[in-house]
Amino acid sequence: MSPAEAVTAPVGPIPPIARHAYRLGMRSMAPLSPAIGVWGLVTGVAMVNGGLPVGWAIGLSLVAFAGSAQLAALPLIAAGAPLPIVWITAALVNVRFVISSAASRAYFAELPLRQRIFCAYLNGDLGFALFAQRYGNARERGNPEQWGYFLGGAVVNWVAWQTSSIVGILLGGAAPSDWGLELGASLALLAVIIPLATSFPALAGIAATAIASVVLRTLPLRLGLPVAVVIGVGVALGVESLRPGAVDTSEGPT
Amino acid sequence: MSPFDDATYLVLVILGITAGTFLTRGSFFVLPAEFELPQIVERALRYAPACALTAIVAPSLLVGDAGRIDIGWENFRLIASIAAGMVFVRRRNMVVMMLVGMAVFTALRLSVG
Repeated sequence: MSPAEAVTAPVGPIPPIARHAYRLGMRSMAPLSPAIGVWGLVTGVAMVNGGLPVGWAIGLSLVAFAGSAQLAALPLIAAGAPLPIVWITAALVNVRFVISSAASRAYFAELPLRQRIFCAYLNGDLGFALFAQRYGNARERGNPEQWGYFLGGAVVNWVAWQTSSIVGILLGGAAPSDWGLELGASLALLAVIIPLATSFPALAGIAATAIASVVLRTLPLRLGLPVAVVIGVGVALGVESLRPGAVDTSEGPT
Repeated sequence: MSPFDDATYLVLVILGITAGTFLTRGSFFVLPAEFELPQIVERALRYAPACALTAIVAPSLLVGDAGRIDIGWENFRLIASIAAGMVFVRRRNMVVMMLVGMAVFTALRLSVG
């Protein structure tokens, strides 16, 4: 499809999609709903138990739709950390998408900005992984079949996550705290860290960050966090340059 | 005043997280196709997400309620997380991992507490 065909006036926020591909995308994402639901539930419970008022928690979920970034920001918000530290932490958590997306931009490049913004908001780990799995080697990049498949999966992901997150937010205060639910937030983040620990430099960086973040935890304004991240990234890069063979060339989390 | 009562702070938190998330997670849609990061930045960013998440999780698992570093058997959160992490490495199943983590945590707490 040429760019001229894709841009039909008036331009709505939704890209042109092939219905069968949209349904296929929904069906591909459906089996992952339980995992998405657990993730959303844990996030919702953690936000309310962490002290965020119900209305704000629902607002954050709906507006940011940020999963791990929300969980990462929560202890910082509770501590009243300076805004830049909260913002940078949340952004860093999602930087994994910047790395893994470079090759995939061609699929959406010809859509009008408004439609790309709509897709950008709905994008998540799982939808991205499913899309890359199916169309990673496609010869034609960017057609209604591909956009439909992406959106079908993304919509299921969004609905499953938002529903469970809001249920978690509403139940949060009522859930018994001795079930280990507060551990859920840490476990959910662990489930993001583990697939990223795919190389020796990454493991070294993670270990260095863990030690630094614990040692520096009492620095004022939560400054220990960015400092620990800088130390960890530095160690990872140092180890990488010592062992050129160990460079992580994987295409990010899939 | 608790940060949770400060509406301006919370609005700015939400807007900032949304903007940051949008630009990073959506970079794939919003950036021009030919955009490329400098090599050194891309290498550094490859490690940043795991490190940022670790900097959040590590203190919550390795520091006890008293605020001291606790890496002993009495740290149930740590033991449960190690068990859950091992399950996830093998099975890559988040639901099972969560159930194992919480079950281990609860079992330890009940057997000792």
